[in-house]
Amino acid sequence: MSRHDVRPRASEDADEDETEVAVLPDLAALHVMATAEPEPAADVAPVVRLDDVHLTFQRAGRAVPALRGVSLELRPGEIFGLVGESGSGKSVLGMSVLGLLPAAVEVRGEVEVCGADMRTISPGQLRRLRTESLGAVFQDPMTSLNPTMRVGRQMVEACGSKQEAVRLLDAAGVPDPARRLRSYPHELSGGLRQRVMIAMAIAGKPKLVVADEPTTALDVTVQAQILSLLRNLCDELGTAFLLITHDLGVAAQISDRIGVLYGGRLAEVGPAADALERPMHPYTAGLLRSRLTLETDTFEPIRTLRGEPPIPESQPPGCPFGPRCDHRTDECEALLPPLVALTGTDDRATACLRIGAIGDLVAAEGPVAVGVASVRERPTFAGRPAALNLVGVHKHFGGGRHGLRRAAGAHVLRGIDLLVREGEAVALVGESGCGKSTLLRIVAGLAGADGGAVEVGQGARPQMVFQDAGASLTPWLTVGEQIGERLRSEGLSKLQRRARVNDALRLAGLSEDVAAAKAHQLSGGQRQRVGLARAIVVPPEILLCDEPTSALDVSLAATVLNLIGRLRREFDMAVLFVTHDLAAARLVGDRIAVMYLGRIVEDGAAADVVERPAHPYTRALLSAVPEAGVRSVPLKGEPASPHHPPGGCAFHPRCPEALPRCATDEPPFEPSPAFGRPVACWLVPGPDRPPDAAVD
Amino acid sequence: MTTFVLKRLASLVVLLVVLTAVMFLLQRVSKTDPIVAYLGRGATGPAAAQARHHLGFDRPLIVQYVRYVDDVAHGNLQMSLHTHHPVMDDLKTYLPPTLELLFTALGLSLIGALILGTVSAMRLPGAGLLRLVMVAGAAAPTFLLGQLGVVFFYRRLGWLPATGQTSRNGVPTGPTGFLVLDALFSGDWPLVMDAVKHLVMPAACLAIGPAVAIGRVLRSSLMSSMDADYTRTARSKGLRESAVVLRHALRNAASGPAQMTGLQVGFMFAGIVVVEQIFAWPGLGSYTVGAITNSDFPAIVGVSLVAGAVFVILNAAVDIFQAAADPRVALQ
Ligand SMILES: Nc1ncnc2c1ncn2[C@@H]1O[C@H](COP(=O)(O)OP(=O)(O)OP(=O)(O)O)[C@@H](O)[C@H]1O
Ligand code: SF4
Ligand code: SF4
Ligand SMILES: [Mg+2]
Repeated sequence: MSRHDVRPRASEDADEDETEVAVLPDLAALHVMATAEPEPAADVAPVVRLDDVHLTFQRAGRAVPALRGVSLELRPGEIFGLVGESGSGKSVLGMSVLGLLPAAVEVRGEVEVCGADMRTISPGQLRRLRTESLGAVFQDPMTSLNPTMRVGRQMVEACGSKQEAVRLLDAAGVPDPARRLRSYPHELSGGLRQRVMIAMAIAGKPKLVVADEPTTALDVTVQAQILSLLRNLCDELGTAFLLITHDLGVAAQISDRIGVLYGGRLAEVGPAADALERPMHPYTAGLLRSRLTLETDTFEPIRTLRGEPPIPESQPPGCPFGPRCDHRTDECEALLPPLVALTGTDDRATACLRIGAIGDLVAAEGPVAVGVASVRERPTFAGRPAALNLVGVHKHFGGGRHGLRRAAGAHVLRGIDLLVREGEAVALVGESGCGKSTLLRIVAGLAGADGGAVEVGQGARPQMVFQDAGASLTPWLTVGEQIGERLRSEGLSKLQRRARVNDALRLAGLSEDVAAAKAHQLSGGQRQRVGLARAIVVPPEILLCDEPTSALDVSLAATVLNLIGRLRREFDMAVLFVTHDLAAARLVGDRIAVMYLGRIVEDGAAADVVERPAHPYTRALLSAVPEAGVRSVPLKGEPASPHHPPGGCAFHPRCPEALPRCATDEPPFEPSPAFGRPVACWLVPGPDRPPDAAVD
Repeated sequence: MTTFVLKRLASLVVLLVVLTAVMFLLQRVSKTDPIVAYLGRGATGPAAAQARHHLGFDRPLIVQYVRYVDDVAHGNLQMSLHTHHPVMDDLKTYLPPTLELLFTALGLSLIGALILGTVSAMRLPGAGLLRLVMVAGAAAPTFLLGQLGVVFFYRRLGWLPATGQTSRNGVPTGPTGFLVLDALFSGDWPLVMDAVKHLVMPAACLAIGPAVAIGRVLRSSLMSSMDADYTRTARSKGLRESAVVLRHALRNAASGPAQMTGLQVGFMFAGIVVVEQIFAWPGLGSYTVGAITNSDFPAIVGVSLVAGAVFVILNAAVDIFQAAADPRVALQ
């Protein structure tokens, strides 16, 4: 192992060196032979070669190791999916490949990109490398393009000429590219912006494009479009992609190989399909099990990883995964497991000290990808009183006058009918801008409806759990005070109140010490639990959840979903759960209601909707859920703006099955005998929608 | 764009109407009797009554107001009570030197802000010292700064003159009214130098506070735009650092400082009164002081109207600049 200082330093960090020593156990004892990374086909040089890379930030005078010995080779023309949870160091790894690390970071080890040594490269050479051989796509296309510069100019900066810019935009699937050159980024939709970023990244046919969470900020149907675009570009151009993502499904869908990063180290590397089918590291297996798919067993809690991801500045000395691992031995607490190739397998490597046995141990815990659906009756809620009843709810925003100009109003909710019975969980699914959060806010009483009726049951007021749990907690109050606030009207003694707060915390899976903490001292998962504890300290008749897991890591999201399921049964609460993720909807909801542009287009029993979707939009959402190796046929276009909802069926410009009349007549939302649930589509016969409605 | 300009013009008219109304009421409510001010103390009896009638001060208030607005609309701002010239003529005399001072100070403060902001945002060497000097300068009250300047650069070093717009008599008076420019047009180089020398110290006194205020805003907005995602994108394209800063970061950082500039113009009006006093600058500031000490309401109204107009126009310019810099800002 060669190790070099990128920036010479006077003294080495003492702790670092201790862990270094620990990396060198007697490898013979591990029944392995090969080197850390299996040889690629011998004649092709790798586009990126990382050898034992350590990256350390300084934060408030403390060393924060972001990468702790990563060795990796990217092969020309492959998509390498780098998967890891927040803080695992995946973005930092991407930045080091692009030479974009902040100056203050300390780098050790070898970083070689397209044959250039990033330790010694001059600014001029680095610029040339970026222009000729590298491209980058970042997470948020809104902020990653310069808002004050026309798309054309930004493209030309990357590719040199207008003709080339048009060609590249066309290759990236931007419709009418010549006209787009004159647009500013804010005039484009999120998906188009990301296509522009991609067009810029592939300018000059680079050898490598680093794509850091390129689809995380996008809607599911748009995500599917972008993923298939990346795969096609890779195949056509022979460009290698480093696809950084927190979502195993995204990586699995288009990657040739994947690497799983945990605590700044690679836990496992291997061909995507193989590694996801037969994980050779307990962390990979745990991630796969806590991931929601359309096959996850909805009757059992999701099998989550226990504990939380490590905090970079206080890593345990041994295996980073040790504290959460069920197969840990004493050795694991002392030694840092190196990434070692597995014998007898093709091209796979794992960083587990029990390398010889771990594959079998993991497999013995049960299958990873597909849950076995238990055959059980769903409870029925028919006949129970309504916890929430919405009839024909409308909501407009804006409109009216802005100065002297009339602003176009947005018709955000266009006649919503929704009934949630006591104890029932309804998942409301839709893409950004469809109005699902607005609907939730109206139910919570945070906004008023402009038309229709909103009836909320007689019990305790609805409580809301937000996407950003941190922002919904008051920073200067302790957790205990915030939960206790809801008890104020009950005339309890201080002691009684404290007992109730502790009960709520315990129910939310938190220890009582958390009551004394303030929001910033808690992790994201803990904050979301506090939000839940606050909501259930006086159990509401209906719990409103606004994407409560979309800001959380995969393993934590699963625990929060389990918790919501448990609390709901415990208190017999109704739940209205808003999400863009059909897999989560299917898991949480007894019923799924699908929303598109301010209307509900389909509403039925969760399992049934997933198995037999009636509406073309539901079908499109289902096929957009990323699955390993499955190339979905993405829906074209993006959700229209509620400022200008298309006439007729609002979905018709994107609908693969649209009929002529769909452009003019809005289909009524009414029960379909064939599906046993209400659907708004001309293709699905109903009382006012005779089977021949499709024809005229 | 046209609608924007029209709207701003309309708001200017509204502002002027409100200003006149307020000034008119203040004048009538205040204890000062305009007749006394007009004719001098001891004006009583029939002469005073006649003057009162002649000037219309015996009519109902609303009639007086309508007449007054009508006059103002026709450019008749009445006679100044202390110079005994039509206020309009006085404004024509005193406004150009003040504008010359104001624009020069504005230019200086923008240059200062740009240097201060970029140097400290980029953490270039000398940033700390530069900042210290500027902040100290901005913290000192304008009159102190002016006095120190006079003592140092005039008495001690003799580099710069201390009073007036020029040391010459019979200088040209057209076409712009700005002495430096007029001298340039007439090709009188020594006069240009002379005028510039006179301009430097008062303009600098006026500029330093706004320079620091604008520079600070520029610094923080530049720092965040140097950290922004689009800057990272620009770097990842392989652009030179200078192109990254000039083409991408700076333009995106322009909005905050531009707004601050609009705000600072307001403060500069207050500063100008003091500065013109210290440097005996023959401008509106001095005129205002004379007007106030003599309860010269017509003059005060005139000055207020002009100041309001200048303020509105400069802020409209700021808005236009912002919209030009950032296409997301719609001119409204
Ligand atoms: N500029 C920086 N200064 C200090 N610490 C940093 C900096 N950038 C990253 N880190 C730290 O390095 C570690 C790895 O960060 P990184 O951004 O690579 O995580 P990530 O895997 O991309 O997570 P996420 O999914 O949240 O994007 C984290 O602990 C982070 O706080
Ligand atoms: S090294 Fe030990 S603790 Fe780490 S993953 Fe393997 S068995 Fe678990
Ligand atoms: S009504 Fe027409 S456009 Fe709308 S979903 Fe059905 S088929 Fe598609
Ligand atoms: Mg990241």
